[in-house]
Amino acid sequence: MNIELIINAFLVTLMLGIAMSLLRTRSVIFTVILTSAYSLIAALMFITLDAVDVAFTEAAVGAGISTILFLAAMAYLPREEEKRINSQLIPALSCIVLGAILIWCSFDLPEIGLASSPIHLHLAPDYIIGSKNDIGIPNVVTSILASYRGYDTFGEVIVIFTAGIAVLTLLQNVKKDKKKIKKKVIKNV
Amino acid sequence: MYKNPILRVCTKILFAPIILFGLYVQFHGDYGPGGGFQAGVIVASAFILYSIVFGLNEGQKLLPPKVNLVLLAFGAFLYGAVGFITMLMGEPFLSYNVLGENYQAGQHLGILIIEFGVGLTVCNVMIALFNSFSGYQPNQGS
Repeated sequence: MNIELIINAFLVTLMLGIAMSLLRTRSVIFTVILTSAYSLIAALMFITLDAVDVAFTEAAVGAGISTILFLAAMAYLPREEEKRINSQLIPALSCIVLGAILIWCSFDLPEIGLASSPIHLHLAPDYIIGSKNDIGIPNVVTSILASYRGYDTFGEVIVIFTAGIAVLTLLQNVKKDKKKIKKKVIKNV
Repeated sequence: MYKNPILRVCTKILFAPIILFGLYVQFHGDYGPGGGFQAGVIVASAFILYSIVFGLNEGQKLLPPKVNLVLLAFGAFLYGAVGFITMLMGEPFLSYNVLGENYQAGQHLGILIIEFGVGLTVCNVMIALFNSFSGYQPNQGS
């Protein structure tokens, strides 16, 4: 228990430090790299909660591929953010108040991993027993994701598919339009 | 494109193991952490690494954009097709149990196929996004 507390405190401190430096930095590349580091720390926190599947996804998608895509898109951005003009007092105050309310509410949450907490009593026992007896797959996450919640996963795949197609269409139309403009210019000349 | 020999040699050495690890994550998702989403991203990262080091043209020779788009759509199609096949066999949409001899075998087969579909779509969407971002040239000619 004590070791877990130390590890969690270490990770939270790192996260806070990264968040603070994210606020201070104006360079876009630092922002991208720090966001990636933040995702990696979040993945480590999921591991301390024994959610290895989520940690794996966070490390692969959040820290890995989204960083690469941000870097690829960064070539079209200015190197530095513009300096802020507005006062930061009201956003800071609202963040502090919201954070305080959330921390206050968290005292009422049941202890993490407590078997008798409501969330572990509703559907979870059915899924755990069903995954073993009906589906026969040791990884409960996969059996929930692919079988019990197959509709939701289908929806997720369609969302990814649509998003990919939308970005492709947006970027390719621009290219074709420019070619047409070039041709018109050449014809006019 | 990088001329640095260390980068080029390391990329060539790493390419196959990254894809092998992606396939492991894909097909071992029933037994350990992992599944289609993570595996797709890992396999895509191998192709993106190749494109970064050897240039976009070499990367598109490895995986032509047309093949990329077809595979992108095929993954989502595979998932939906499994659902409709189970409907044709007289069960609700995405009830895999009719696919095999018994309940468990059908569920195993169905989960394996739809996870493969998920991996295919995620992998190809990521590669297509990277290609279109790095091939896009704004503020030129106009």
